Amino acid sequence: MNKVMTIEEAVGLVSDGEIVALQNMATQAAPMALVRELIRQEKRNLGLVCLVGGMAVDWLSAAGVIDRFIGAAVSMEQFGLCNQYRKAVEGGRVRVEELSETALNARLGAGARNLPFLPTRGMLGSDLIDINDNLTLLQDPFTGETVVACRALVPDVAFIHAHRADARGNVQIEPTIKWPDLGIFPKASKKVIVTAEEIVDTEVLRRNPDRTVLPGFAVDAVVEVPYGAHPTSFFPNYTYDTAFHLEWIKVARDDEATQAFLQKYVYEPATQADYLAAVGGAERILELTR
Amino acid sequence: MADYGEYTIDELMCATLAAQFKDGDEVCNGMASFIPVAAIMLALRTHAPELVWLAGAAGVDPRPDRVPASTLESPLWRDSVMYLEQYGDFWNYAQSGRHLHTFCVGAAQLDQYGNANNSVIGDDYHRPKVRLPGTAGLADMGALGKNLLYWNTNHNPRSLVEKVDFVSCPGYLGGGDERDKLGLTGGPKLVVTNLAVLDFAPDSKRMRLRSVHPGVTVEQVQEATGFELLVPSSVEETPKPTAEQVRLLRDVIDPDGMCKREAGVK
Repeated sequence: MNKVMTIEEAVGLVSDGEIVALQNMATQAAPMALVRELIRQEKRNLGLVCLVGGMAVDWLSAAGVIDRFIGAAVSMEQFGLCNQYRKAVEGGRVRVEELSETALNARLGAGARNLPFLPTRGMLGSDLIDINDNLTLLQDPFTGETVVACRALVPDVAFIHAHRADARGNVQIEPTIKWPDLGIFPKASKKVIVTAEEIVDTEVLRRNPDRTVLPGFAVDAVVEVPYGAHPTSFFPNYTYDTAFHLEWIKVARDDEATQAFLQKYVYEPATQADYLAAVGGAERILELTR
Repeated sequence: MADYGEYTIDELMCATLAAQFKDGDEVCNGMASFIPVAAIMLALRTHAPELVWLAGAAGVDPRPDRVPASTLESPLWRDSVMYLEQYGDFWNYAQSGRHLHTFCVGAAQLDQYGNANNSVIGDDYHRPKVRLPGTAGLADMGALGKNLLYWNTNHNPRSLVEKVDFVSCPGYLGGGDERDKLGLTGGPKLVVTNLAVLDFAPDSKRMRLRSVHPGVTVEQVQEATGFELLVPSSVEETPKPTAEQVRLLRDVIDPDGMCKREAGVK
């Protein structure tokens, strides 16, 4: 079955109020073209799941797309805190379900396997358990020891960015570190939307089947988006855009400047080519691929 | 000739942390952890060549040519012998009880019983005064029997507080045997700051001054701390980094000065 869509069609599969699991680390591998399209389509009241969220969380907070965040941390690491997210949380517009990494993995692991919950020994003694209805202490029925039961989480859709995919939705990743974003997000989610640097013939995938991380039967939509993770890094293809992160850090302190920034980089560019031109065109991209 | 007898505070902190890593240990690092990363790289080049480093908690035995601009980006785990898959590999090993017994923790607040907060400042969790990055792996590492080594480049009463606003990383909780009663093993072992090295008293589990850095007085450390420290009758001076350690850190491990940036050294 041909799963190739336009980015508008793919993001059209997401409804207001749903939970989106977003591949993302502080400055890595975020499907930013999908994030921009969520903002352009003016989605509202989305929940967002990340292990560690970066600029995407900031943009989605600033644009009023998300009203809850489920994950372990939000930070742009060397570039600092996500100030628009921070402001939205401090102002009560975004609610945080903060989970340790094993707890997030347990919630999603249970979701993937159609189990009611999975336990972890993490978080015991922390203040994270009491404030969260999706976590509760449980006696191990075999030994009586206390563990933390983590309720199953089934996101409505997972957003993934990959190095290549074929039209049937088989997805390949070059040798790189694989975060839970790839290990469990797509397995726990009801739908999986993938952007890929390139869509290739299936024969190309057959040369390195060990690099295929998602089988086509588990993928709902594939969109070809070159440099689709910019301004985050996507190794080995390109590094993170330092200048763009610094620009964002600066404008994110001010709401008006933030909206002007989103206008310039999110609302106005109609296509990925327009977006790449807006962020500095071939010259900038060449710097990042060196 | 460069003078390696002069050292900066980041170099002393790196050398102090490095001494905690034993040959054959397994250690990993998280994001924005320049001093722990440099300490691991220093230990590997000096007393602990068989130290196993999981860069970014994923890249096994990497060979970065220097401390890069990020401790959670690809240049850190270059030439790894394996990439651990985070969900399936790393957290299995970290939870097994058989691996990764030591973990370096950086957090916005640390209290007198070694509990750390990287979640929120303020009383109302859902309407915080300051939303911090979040617990990430701290709540796991604090509960999974690890020996916790804290580092703090800005020792002041707002970062070393009597009681954290929120426990993101469980230490000795309310002190005494509270941690044991929950069945938790391991716990906070050492705190390395820009002023001193501290540990925890065996019975009360209260933070205790162990050594002051050269040029720093006990009074200065107490004044910079938001609670009363246990101070033994004689407090030693923290050993200075050796000239060879300084040379390695400055010329080989961190020539771009990422640790200096982290420690606010001009």
